[in-house]
Amino acid sequence: MINSNVNALGIIFPNSYDNLVPELVTERLMASIPFAGRYRMVDFILSSMVNCGIDNISLIVRKNYHSLMDHLGSGREWDLTRKNGGLNIVPPFAEKSVKVYDGRVEALASILTFLKSQKEKYVVMTDTNIAVNFDFNAFIEAHIESGADVTMVYAEQEIPKALIEVPTESRDMYYTLDLDGERVKRIRINSKDAGVKNLGMNIFVLERELLIDQIGTAYVHGNIYFERDVLAHQLDKLNVHAFKYDGYFARISGMKSYFDENMKLLDDENLDGLFAKSPIYTKIRDDNPTRYIAGAKAKNTMTADGCVIEGEVENSILFRGVRVGKGAKVKNCVLMQDTVIEDGADVEYVITDKKVTITAGKEVKGTNSYQVFVAKNKVV
Amino acid sequence: MAKEMIAMLLAGGQGSRLYALTQKLAKPAVPFGGKYRIIDFPLSNCVNSGIDTVGILTQYQPLVLNEYIGNGQPWDLDRLYGGVHVLPPYQQASGSDWYKGTANAIYQNISFIERYNPQYVIILSGDQICKQDYSDFLRFHKEKGAEFSVAVMEVPWDEASRFGLMVADENDKITEFQEKPKNPKSNLASMGIYIFNWDILRKYLVEDEQDPNSENDFGNNIIPNLLRDGRNMYAYHFDGYWKDVGTISSLWEANMEVLDPEHSGINLFDENWKIYSRNSGMTGHRISADAVVEDSMITDGCRIAGEVKHSILFAGVQVETGAVVEDAVVMGGTVIKAGAVVKHCIVAENAVIGENAVVGAMPTETEKGVATVGPGVYVGEGAKIGPNAMVYNNVKGGEVQ
Repeated sequence: MINSNVNALGIIFPNSYDNLVPELVTERLMASIPFAGRYRMVDFILSSMVNCGIDNISLIVRKNYHSLMDHLGSGREWDLTRKNGGLNIVPPFAEKSVKVYDGRVEALASILTFLKSQKEKYVVMTDTNIAVNFDFNAFIEAHIESGADVTMVYAEQEIPKALIEVPTESRDMYYTLDLDGERVKRIRINSKDAGVKNLGMNIFVLERELLIDQIGTAYVHGNIYFERDVLAHQLDKLNVHAFKYDGYFARISGMKSYFDENMKLLDDENLDGLFAKSPIYTKIRDDNPTRYIAGAKAKNTMTADGCVIEGEVENSILFRGVRVGKGAKVKNCVLMQDTVIEDGADVEYVITDKKVTITAGKEVKGTNSYQVFVAKNKVV
Repeated sequence: MAKEMIAMLLAGGQGSRLYALTQKLAKPAVPFGGKYRIIDFPLSNCVNSGIDTVGILTQYQPLVLNEYIGNGQPWDLDRLYGGVHVLPPYQQASGSDWYKGTANAIYQNISFIERYNPQYVIILSGDQICKQDYSDFLRFHKEKGAEFSVAVMEVPWDEASRFGLMVADENDKITEFQEKPKNPKSNLASMGIYIFNWDILRKYLVEDEQDPNSENDFGNNIIPNLLRDGRNMYAYHFDGYWKDVGTISSLWEANMEVLDPEHSGINLFDENWKIYSRNSGMTGHRISADAVVEDSMITDGCRIAGEVKHSILFAGVQVETGAVVEDAVVMGGTVIKAGAVVKHCIVAENAVIGENAVVGAMPTETEKGVATVGPGVYVGEGAKIGPNAMVYNNVKGGEVQ
């Protein structure tokens, strides 16, 4: 196979929408939130890019990025240990910036020198709060064919309640698009409108030269946000196109949606929608296969390697290395890496972060509308 | 810079008794234990023992093995100096030759070993399931001031005559070697794992090569020659899990033992002695609402809707609704269609067991066979594969004994 897309470089913003799931990002960022049994959110977009031949990828991190660096390492698992390009993690103050960035414009301004020295014609940019097996080739082809200056991806959906409910001052903005054919006529910011909208997925493509030009100007004018300050204001000058995505995706917009999006993967159709198209890569842990000991019962579950199940598990997602002891009951739960449910414990509607222990005989129960969350390393 | 000890791993074996499984791959590449291949065990042992240079001697059907080993990264054996190297026979100025025997395979690679100028060379076998600390073996070798050491296992006396036996004195010094004797004088069976001082090994390999009557084999030639010359030879006692998986039934048995680490002694769940392998990269396994899974090991990519009991399923196996899998080893990518019954057998990679087909049967007093279905084989709807059958061509229907 010939690399079809060496002509685009990727930029990922791993901290976007951190504030939607404060419980999950105390020691990490959106990109490194565990999802779907053995992955981190960043794996989906990173693998999608790699699968489309994009192998020069920069991640502009803002804070709490230790777990992401640990996860990505040299990028080997994503085939990104390249002599040219490869994986490039840009921490704050790495280049010119004098403060931690707020918006995309500031983030991109800090790597302008880098951008100028690259040779790819196009740039694709994304966040990591959406897990999606995305075909960047089709996206870039559509962009080139349409002759647009910028193309952005949207999905037809209702605006998730969680997005609307987050207090304005502490939220990353979301955008809905008014369209005329494929042309974006208006970009609405933080709309509270009900009904199905064209909700932006924050995936963009444009020429590198144009990006450098726009960011240079915007930064000088003290602008912060790419969508609000660069795109929305210039829809008359810039030909901004919209690209509809109608495949499967999981958008994390709050704790409830984190739980729901995990649970949705218990439906094989959804699971295939996310994974069947092309492989999703992640860090290898060299776990042994999962072991079901006599007396174990499992119904409607997705379980990663390295688990030992002696109790009962139903309607649950188990990450790598989870232990469920004798007589323990696990129902409607998302149990992250190395969670231990000791003998006889009974958990229902619980999300456990990494390395949580629920001690023997304990009962922990949430409800379908409000799950109990147990923070990393906690013992209950 | 010299390496203290490097490993040479004999992986050329055809594994002819595994016939249906080894038509297109060498025995060390045979899948084992849910996500491993046999060769993962010696390779992981090397890394866990601090050996970072391994030569793998291949000859028979090396393609799968070559691709699997790659640059050695899954075993942390991608090193700037050393690392893992696959060594097939090659053409030399004096001509070219297949590896004639185990000793000749090492002889043909003397120049590989000399690149690292090691003090010691450990010779490993690529067809055993064993977790062993080679650094402890080396410590023994050095303490004894040995020139040659061999790892031995105590075997039951009534089985001893099936093995190559080391007769040793109270200081573990070897006094005699018996190859499959009628009247065993010892029950210390050679595991086929040797540590040599490199200068000694080199000398005996060169001499052996000049002997036109030699079979160029460690057991038949090199070890007897060392004994003849009164070299310092010692037997290192190993009492962990060890299994030569040379036959279908021993391969099946070893897999079943993985399911019972508490009693069998083969524990793949040991954080301090991980067995590394090349990962399937598939997503977590799915168990649907009406599935039954008992006493089994299941790995990434599996989809279970039927009944799985006391079995090992490799990556990406599908068990459809109403299918029953019991006491079975089912290798990667195989599909067990609705209503099929798969028992007491080995089904190799990417096979399809058609609807309501029957493969194998639970053992009886008189019939204990382990049915085997080869890789990529299609077993048609309603077909029946008997407990002693070894199938390597598609079966449209009917009965195969």
